[in-house]
Amino acid sequence: MPRKIGVTTTVPLEIIYAAGCIPVDLNNVFITHASPGALVEEAELAGYPRNVCAWIKGLYSTVLNSGDINTIIAVTQGDCSNTHALMETLQLEGVEVLPFAYPFDRDYDLLRLQMEKLMGHLGVTWEQVYRTKERLDRVRQLVWRLDRLTWRENLVSSWDNHLYQVNCSDFQGDPEGFARRVEELLAEVENAPARQPTGLRLGYIGVPPIMDDIYDYLEERGARVVFNETQRQFTMPFDVDDLVEQYRLYTYPYGIFFRLEDIIQEMELRRLDGIIHYAQSFCYRQIEDLIVRRKIELPVLTLEGDKPNRLDARTKMRLDSFVEMLR
Amino acid sequence: MWCGIDLGSRQVKVVLMAGDASWRRFSFDTVRFYRQHGRLESGRLAVDLSSLLELAGALPEVVVSTGYGRQTVELKGAVAMPEIKAHVRGAIFLTGLSDFTLLDLGGQDSKVALVRRGRMTDFETNDKCAASTGRYLENMAAVLDITMEELSRHQQDPVDLTSTCAIFGETEIIGKLVEGHGMGALAAGINYTIFKRIRPMLVRLRSPVLVFTGGVAQNRALVEIIGRELAVDVRVPEQPGFAGALGCCVEARDIASNCFKGGGN
Repeated sequence: MPRKIGVTTTVPLEIIYAAGCIPVDLNNVFITHASPGALVEEAELAGYPRNVCAWIKGLYSTVLNSGDINTIIAVTQGDCSNTHALMETLQLEGVEVLPFAYPFDRDYDLLRLQMEKLMGHLGVTWEQVYRTKERLDRVRQLVWRLDRLTWRENLVSSWDNHLYQVNCSDFQGDPEGFARRVEELLAEVENAPARQPTGLRLGYIGVPPIMDDIYDYLEERGARVVFNETQRQFTMPFDVDDLVEQYRLYTYPYGIFFRLEDIIQEMELRRLDGIIHYAQSFCYRQIEDLIVRRKIELPVLTLEGDKPNRLDARTKMRLDSFVEMLR
Repeated sequence: MWCGIDLGSRQVKVVLMAGDASWRRFSFDTVRFYRQHGRLESGRLAVDLSSLLELAGALPEVVVSTGYGRQTVELKGAVAMPEIKAHVRGAIFLTGLSDFTLLDLGGQDSKVALVRRGRMTDFETNDKCAASTGRYLENMAAVLDITMEELSRHQQDPVDLTSTCAIFGETEIIGKLVEGHGMGALAAGINYTIFKRIRPMLVRLRSPVLVFTGGVAQNRALVEIIGRELAVDVRVPEQPGFAGALGCCVEARDIASNCFKGGGN
């Protein structure tokens, strides 16, 4: 039985798969649970405060309810400080925690060292890891194509663009099985008519939404998200052979300015009409909103999400007003 | 004739406009409105307007609705319109201005919109918190046992209130009362609290002219506080609570004329 290793955000997947383990992105398990709200409540009953990020609470309950996840890799730098407390409360319950830190200044040597420490823990060599990179890149290329078909040919829905990219954080534990599902979707859409090429083109930046219905809600109103910033980053959209460099180019862990370079580039390439900047309630990333508004010259809608997993009336009103404003 | 309906949290506002642009207004208690005119249809609340619109004398050509209610309420025969846009259109109709900042303080939310050349170009809402809304003012007036009119007369020597919560603020006010602060200073403090909450939005979306709509615009003290503290010209149109319904009415008129010309959908 391959060992499952839970991750709180994207970490070098190649190392986990090379070790014959199965990575499990806890965020994906949480949000696709039949009742994610119950998982949040469970954490609150255990003592997590009400005014703290719902993802962190969801991750806590997800690990403890899993039954077969006894080890997690917690990103101690490159995500958020709440992860530290999450780690500690899980250690309290006997979960093994392996720390991983993305160096804030993107230092190559420090990142390489972190990767080697993780490799040491899981008992793999660089050769094994590089062979795994080849294996995973084959799957990633399919998803890069899916992304191009979203923004260039308008053949893929914004929800599918989000879903298949976000799942590249663990390939659902089965890269080849996942690849087959992507190929099926690609075959389906390549024969279908294009979607609303004359509608509004939006970019969605920030952490993935805790509400599932935001993409369809916007498409029903003639606005398509053709750029999902963080989800796209999970697919490692870089043509690079050096694995350390790959995780140095990955923008999410490295602060708002590095992320904005990528965002502005894609904004221009994909000819966007507006940006939705999403941040979770109680999240420090809300502070960065003022930076986003200074640096991005398109209209920006700031959205705040709290409980999973549906849009509430207030958020719908703001989405409606933003779409109306852009027309 | 055209009809605009603003389904608010406390009051449902209805405006009927005739071909000569004269208009009549009606308002109903929200809960009573839904109880009398609503019924459940296929799991959703449907409101039949025909019984309500008999008071108009004739059925309007087009009905447009807005408000939080419109998301969960299916208004038979009405076209839905986003709330902020409705208030902007209403403000333009009432003032004749095309460049201003709109501030709408309603029963349960606050909205600020930047309007340039008659179009909204940016907006912000404070919709998760009641501490800058009409409900907060009602509650505080009740705690002090004064009328809303009395509350809206005071802005001198405000007492500093620190609570960020509309509910817990009540306890704080009682504490200040016991400390010996006068009614005027307490009322002024309450009015200043609203100003402090909305100031960041007003500063970010600033214009030389501020159009103030919504029920709370009837608070004279708040109007003067905003004008003085931000050095802006504050205009409160007639019937400020009806800007949303009026905006819907104007939209209804446009829809009707587009259909007539054959150029609409």
